[in-house]
Amino acid sequence: MAVSYLEVLFPVIGLVINVLFQVLGFRYIASIGLLKSIFLGFSVGLFSVITLEAYVFFTMSKSAQDFIAIIIVNLVTYSALGYCYFHFLNLGETARRIRIVRELYDSEGGLSLEGILERYNARDIVQKRFERLLNNRQIIEKSGRYYIGNPVMLMMANIMVAMKLIFLGKESEFDFHRE
Amino acid sequence: MKILLLSPILFLMAFILQLIIWKIRIPKRQIKVLLVIFFGTLFTGLLTLKIAPFSIPGLAVYSPRHPLEYLHISISFISLTLAYMITYSAIEADSPSLVMIRAVAKAGLGGLDKKEFEKTMNDELLVIPRVRDLLNDKMAYIDGDKYRLTPKGFLFARLFVLSRKILNAPKGG
Repeated sequence: MAVSYLEVLFPVIGLVINVLFQVLGFRYIASIGLLKSIFLGFSVGLFSVITLEAYVFFTMSKSAQDFIAIIIVNLVTYSALGYCYFHFLNLGETARRIRIVRELYDSEGGLSLEGILERYNARDIVQKRFERLLNNRQIIEKSGRYYIGNPVMLMMANIMVAMKLIFLGKESEFDFHRE
Repeated sequence: MKILLLSPILFLMAFILQLIIWKIRIPKRQIKVLLVIFFGTLFTGLLTLKIAPFSIPGLAVYSPRHPLEYLHISISFISLTLAYMITYSAIEADSPSLVMIRAVAKAGLGGLDKKEFEKTMNDELLVIPRVRDLLNDKMAYIDGDKYRLTPKGFLFARLFVLSRKILNAPKGG
C-alpha cells in the first residue's frame, strides 16, 4: 500500500504546528503583528510537512511516483487547512457578524437594535478599515483625499466582484437587478 | 496516484453540481446547501467507488483498496471544501474594505473624499444586513425588542472569544 497511517495525518500535524507557532509568535514576539505571525506559523508548518514526507521517503521503500503523488496531495491539503486557519483568524479580527455575536454574548438579556448600534456601528467599521488600509499602504492620503497605494487589495476586490457575478449574477449583495 | 486524482475530481463534481443548482435558483441559506452538496458528493462518490466500481468503465482501476486511502481522500476533499466555503462566504457578503478600495479606485485621479464616502457607508448598509444574517442562520432570535443568541450563536461566540483570548487580542470588527 502506498500510504501509511502517519502520512494521512501529516497535513493535520502540520496544521497543529502552524497554529502553535502562530500563537506563540503573536503572543511573545513583540515586533510581530497578526499577519506576520500567520506567515510564520504557515512556514513552520509547511517545513514540518516537507520534513516528515522526506523522512518517510528515505526510511520506507516507496516508489518515486507514489511519493510524488502523496506529497502533492499532502501539500495541497496542508495549504488548504492553513488557508482556513488564516481566514478563521481574519474573521475574528474583522468580521462584522462575529463582532455583533460577541456584543450579544457579552450582554446579559440581549440587546435592542439601538443597543447593538451604540456598541458597534458603521462609523466604527469605516474608521477601523481606513486605518488598516492606510497602515498597510493599500491606500494613501494626500490633502484629505484617498488614493490607491499598493494595488494588491484592489486586484482582490475586482476578483471578488468577478466571482460574485459568476455565482450570484450581481456585483454586490445590494444589487437587486437580478431579482 | 488514486488520491491525487480522486480528491480533486470529486471536488470538481461537487463544484459543477453547485453551479447548476445556483443557475436554477440561489438558495436562501447558501452555506448550508453548499455543505449538503459537497459532503453529499463525497459520500456518494466514495460509496460508488466501494460498492460499484464497475458501474463506470475504467473506474475500478482507481478504486481505493484500503480504508486508509478512503480516509486520505476524505481529509483532502474536506480541506478543499472548507477552503472553498470560507472563500464563498466572502463572496456572499460585501466586504467593507474591498468596497472602500473600489470606491477609492473609482474616484480616480481626484481621490476619494472620506466624509463624502462615510455618508454612503451607513448602518443600513453595513450593520443591519449582518444582524439579519444572524437571524437567518439561526444564531440569534428576537425576544420582544431584544436580539438574543441561540445555543448555536453562543457556541459560535465562545469559539471566537476563546481564540481571541488565546491570542490575547481585543474584540475585532
